[in-house]
Amino acid sequence: MRIISCFIVVLFFFNLTIVIGQKNKFDTLNFIPIYGSIPLKIDDAFYAFKDKDSIQFDELKFYISEVELINGNKLVWKEPNSYHLIDASNLKSLQIILNVPQNISFQKVKFSLGVDSIVNVSGVRGGDLDPTNGMYWAWQSGYINFKLEGKSNLCKTKNNEFSFHLGGYQYPFYVHKSVVLDFKKNSNTEIIIDLKKMMDYVDFAQQNHIMSPSNQAVLMYEKALEIFSNK
Amino acid sequence: MKRQYYILFIIIFICIAFVSIKKYHFVVPKSWPKPTYDFSQNPLTEDKIELGRVLFYDPILSKNNTISCASCHSQYTAFTHVDHALSHGIDDRIGNRNSPALMNLAWHNLFMWDGAINHLDLQALSPMSNPNEMGEKIEHVIIKLQKSKSYSFLFYKAFNDSLITGEHTLKAISQFMLTLISSNSKYDSVMQNLTQFTNQEKNGYRLFKQNCSSCHTEPLFTNVKFENNGLSLDTLLKDYGRMKVTKNPNDSLKFKVPSLRNIEFSYPYMHDGRFKKIGEVINHYTSGIINSKTLSNQLQKKIVLSSNEKVDLTAFLLTLTDKTFLFNPKYSYFKK
Ligand code: HEC
Ligand code: HEC
Repeated sequence: MRIISCFIVVLFFFNLTIVIGQKNKFDTLNFIPIYGSIPLKIDDAFYAFKDKDSIQFDELKFYISEVELINGNKLVWKEPNSYHLIDASNLKSLQIILNVPQNISFQKVKFSLGVDSIVNVSGVRGGDLDPTNGMYWAWQSGYINFKLEGKSNLCKTKNNEFSFHLGGYQYPFYVHKSVVLDFKKNSNTEIIIDLKKMMDYVDFAQQNHIMSPSNQAVLMYEKALEIFSNK
Repeated sequence: MKRQYYILFIIIFICIAFVSIKKYHFVVPKSWPKPTYDFSQNPLTEDKIELGRVLFYDPILSKNNTISCASCHSQYTAFTHVDHALSHGIDDRIGNRNSPALMNLAWHNLFMWDGAINHLDLQALSPMSNPNEMGEKIEHVIIKLQKSKSYSFLFYKAFNDSLITGEHTLKAISQFMLTLISSNSKYDSVMQNLTQFTNQEKNGYRLFKQNCSSCHTEPLFTNVKFENNGLSLDTLLKDYGRMKVTKNPNDSLKFKVPSLRNIEFSYPYMHDGRFKKIGEVINHYTSGIINSKTLSNQLQKKIVLSSNEKVDLTAFLLTLTDKTFLFNPKYSYFKK
């Protein structure tokens, strides 16, 4: 009898810790695409662009890799084999489920935009890194780290289209940098992706196609890093 | 007790699973260097090679179902394209270059004339996609394969998974290409003391070692590097080779050194197929070299060959023909 009650008490505490743990368990990064203050949709929706013009998005895809949690200056958790393909038109992909141990406390989330150079030179991978996901250049090896396609009346191109395929794994056109965001609460985390921050920089009259690693791609990639923020 | 049975059962099961995989033993020809391909990431098996072979010969890989890999890489010409200087097919860029012969690829680490592809497994992507038409993607090829019953069977056999993915498709094609080994020419027999060169061939071999083997290095007959061998720039195609990839002016006009094995059958020659005969190539080296900033050192000094020596050199180059490779039934068209 004593043993059983002891057992029950233990079980109770065990349960309790699970409940408490869940309360501030962190396990998801939620990406929320917006344009300025409006939710971003990958379809026919037009957004005002630089006052009198308009812009529309057909595709927004990018890789998030090397997700890390940081407490102070200390790395407290690192996702193994961390490669995620985010596709703004695929709701499921906007949520990265992380297998973080309970009760880890952190103030910063760090991740890289794109995939590292090792992956770029070590052959074919599966899953999110499958080179047939449309995020791999065919004629020249290398992943496209960030892909944005759409239309704007400012583009003097066929169908007013623009496309920015940003990538490159070799110097001097290596584009692979990390983003660090502060989080006060250890709860599920929303990361805003605001395309307006990037688009305001683009001069469509000059620049509407980036299709391979280049100086232009490096500069544009820097702008792509700025679209990420937390609330 | 029960647990032990379970474990025993699992062990037996694993053993059976292993036995049923027919491993392929990749043989490195005698006195050749170690291959650069990392087989541990894509271990060869009979079933995967067979699947790769079916894919290699199947036009399902092209957008309009008309062109297979073999259309431009035909076995009887050491897997190159014969009748045209510039392989034509599904897209612009491919039409700018002559298709290279495919053999001994396990020893190469960069692919294409300019080295734009950094891994054999990713090579097949390029002919399968069409960069000119935005929107039409390699994903569609995979969907076509997924719809085919015979392919789900072959993929299941090869990968124990009937789900057809890009990764598996590419790995299988790569496996087939890795088996394309040419190492059985007269030259090879001579090196193994199984036969002798004629006097003419012997002299040709001497001239070859003197003038050519720094780039066309034995036993692969390529150093797998990028060199400028003094070809004039085709003003129409404006192909600067390696520089296109590295954007480094020091790489201007450098191209991947092609292997000379089976050179008798892999005409036309050079990245743009400008020469049709071996004689024209030799004349290029003796009297056609264009000097430019990036011309390789080895060719700075003029190569002088008498007309007899040219004949001897050609005779040697013909000893690199490997009939067992060109007519090996294991490499030929295979019906599903
Ligand atoms: C339309 C003609 C064409 C088709 C179809 C084609 N290729 Fe090629 N292939 C070429 C040309 C041309 C090159 C050289 C291109 C370059 O250097 O830019 C090449 C290069 C290669 C190389 C690089 C060889 C080396 O030594 O660097 C490999 C490997 C290869 N092709 C395999 C394939 C496979 C596998 C397929 C089928 C999925 C295929 N090819 C389909 C024309 C073709
Ligand atoms: C400096 C390095 C170098 C030297 C030395 C050299 N080659 Fe080449 N060779 C090349 C390169 C690079 C190519 C391809 C060039 C291109 O297509 O732009 C080539 C192409 C060839 C080809 C055409 C192969 C094909 O499949 O298209 C032949 C044949 C050839 N060389 C024979 C020779 C002979 C014979 C010699 C000696 C007289 C020689 N080479 C010396 C670098 C060299």
